[in-house]
This record gives sequence, structure tokens and C-alpha cells, in this order.
Amino acid sequence: MPGVAFVAHCMLNQNSKTIGGARCPGIYSPLVDVLRENGWRIEQMPCPELAFTGLNRFWAVREQYDTMAFRRHCRRLASAVVGAIDVHLKAGREVVLVGVEGSPSMGVCITSSDSKRAGLPTWKEGSSELTPGQGIFIEELRGEMADRGMAEPRSIGITQPLPDYNKRTEKARLEAFFG
Amino acid sequence: MWPRDRRSYRVALVADRYLNPPEGGLDAVPILLEAEWGAIQLPAEDYPSAVARPLLEQVAEQVEEFHRRGYDTVVIGRREGLDEALEAVGVPRLDRIEPANARALRGFLSRRKPPEAKSSRRRAAATKR
Repeated sequence: MPGVAFVAHCMLNQNSKTIGGARCPGIYSPLVDVLRENGWRIEQMPCPELAFTGLNRFWAVREQYDTMAFRRHCRRLASAVVGAIDVHLKAGREVVLVGVEGSPSMGVCITSSDSKRAGLPTWKEGSSELTPGQGIFIEELRGEMADRGMAEPRSIGITQPLPDYNKRTEKARLEAFFG
Repeated sequence: MWPRDRRSYRVALVADRYLNPPEGGLDAVPILLEAEWGAIQLPAEDYPSAVARPLLEQVAEQVEEFHRRGYDTVVIGRREGLDEALEAVGVPRLDRIEPANARALRGFLSRRKPPEAKSSRRRAAATKR
């Protein structure tokens, strides 16, 4: 029986993206369609960057968000999300996480990193900040679940923001994960 | 060259029953997709209040940012505790609908004025040119 997919906020609301990053007006249908076709319940996680640095934030890499204050903020958000996850786990439902690859906060397997990035936000297009690793919120969320003795859920990251994104490949990945 | 930003500057706070509708219930997702609205999901009605309260607090913090920046924000359906959470962050009562059917929801969304944030961004772009 399908379970509950806790999805990154921007999967239902591209308005939360950093300016320049919204790939569709609102709901990201390639994910939502697959979830619904396969009977998954959708739960939207908060956008950690939106409430912390706002809508007019700059594009940033993981190091720029890796501060005590942002981690504390992420832990507060994660604690609330894990409360909801707990409700579903106790009801015997499978819970999965859906992040966003390349994101400094929501990356599952790929985040963005550049220890030298600072100051006036100008950098070359296509600069190679993508790196294996998880985003800060995903890390804190997994940490919160571990602290509460919960097993790590299956997780997947949407690859839409990556330069080599391929719609067909992405659909096949999602089908394989949720089907 | 980065692709064009395609946000709609429209965000609906949506009761869970319209995002995860029960069999035969009104499904807001195809309507929001068609009308080009983003969604912020409200906590499920059956969550205990200790679970729902911090989630509503986070929803309110995010809505405050959208509202202050001139994005159109509305409520679809209802959620106990939402108004108090919004009031706590200084967001006035938002326009809302408890849609009887898909047609009512489509009509409500189609009657909205253009979002202020979209107009001001266009003005800023025109001034630059």
C-alpha cells in the first residue's frame, strides 16, 4: 500500500523559489502526477530558506547557510515535520522524503558547495558548485528522526534544477521510486 | 542563460481535504494547475493540536513573507487555528472560499486582481529598459 510523501515546499509552490528559479507557475506537476497516479498521500514540508532569508534572497550555496542560526531554524522546522511523520508512522504508513537536488537546504544526494563564495553575488553561469551531499534541512530532518529513534525513510531528490535534467529520465526515476 | 522565472505570484493556502481529497471529494490540484496558483498545504484536520500548531505557525511565517511582498494570497477551505496563527504574525484576514464545487473554485480564482508583486516587478523591469 502506498504511503505518505513528505515533499519539498516548492514542489507545490514554485513561488517560494529564489527569484530566477521558478520553472513553472505554481505546482510542479511531474511529481504530483506520479504521486497521485500511484496513490500516495502528499504532505508539504516548509521551505527553510523562505522564512529565514525571504523571497528576495540571493542564490546561495550550502556554506552560506551553514550557520548556527540557520541550523536552529531548520531544527525547529524539522521538529514540526517529524511530529507529522510520527503520526503516519504510528498509523503503519510508509513515509518517504522528496527533496530537491542541488539545493543547499533540500538536497538529498546533491547539494551546492563553494567555500569561497561571498560578497557581491556575481559568479559565472554554470559554475561547478554542485557536489555530492545533502542540504542542511534534510540533514537536520534526518537527525531529528534519528534522535527520536525513527528509521531513516527512503528519500529521493527532484533533479529538475540540475543542468543535465531530462524530463523522461526523471519521470522514469519517479515511477520506479513511487510505483 | 538561465531559463525565465515562471512564478505566478499567486499562493493559495489549501485545506488538506482539497489536496488529498477523499473518494469523490473536490480536488483542487487540477484547478490550481490550470489557474496557475501555488499551494501551501494546511495541516490535516485529524492531526492532534500539538502536531498541527507548530505546522500552522510555519505556514503563517511563510504567508507573512508572501503577503508583505505583494503576492496574492487566499485561503481555500478552512483549518482551525489558521486565523490565530496568521494574526500572530500580523497578516490580516485573507480572502477565502469554501468551494461547493470545482466551478465555484474556478470562478473565485479567476476573479482575482493581478498580484501587486507581479505588476511592481514588471514596472521595475520596464524602468530598467
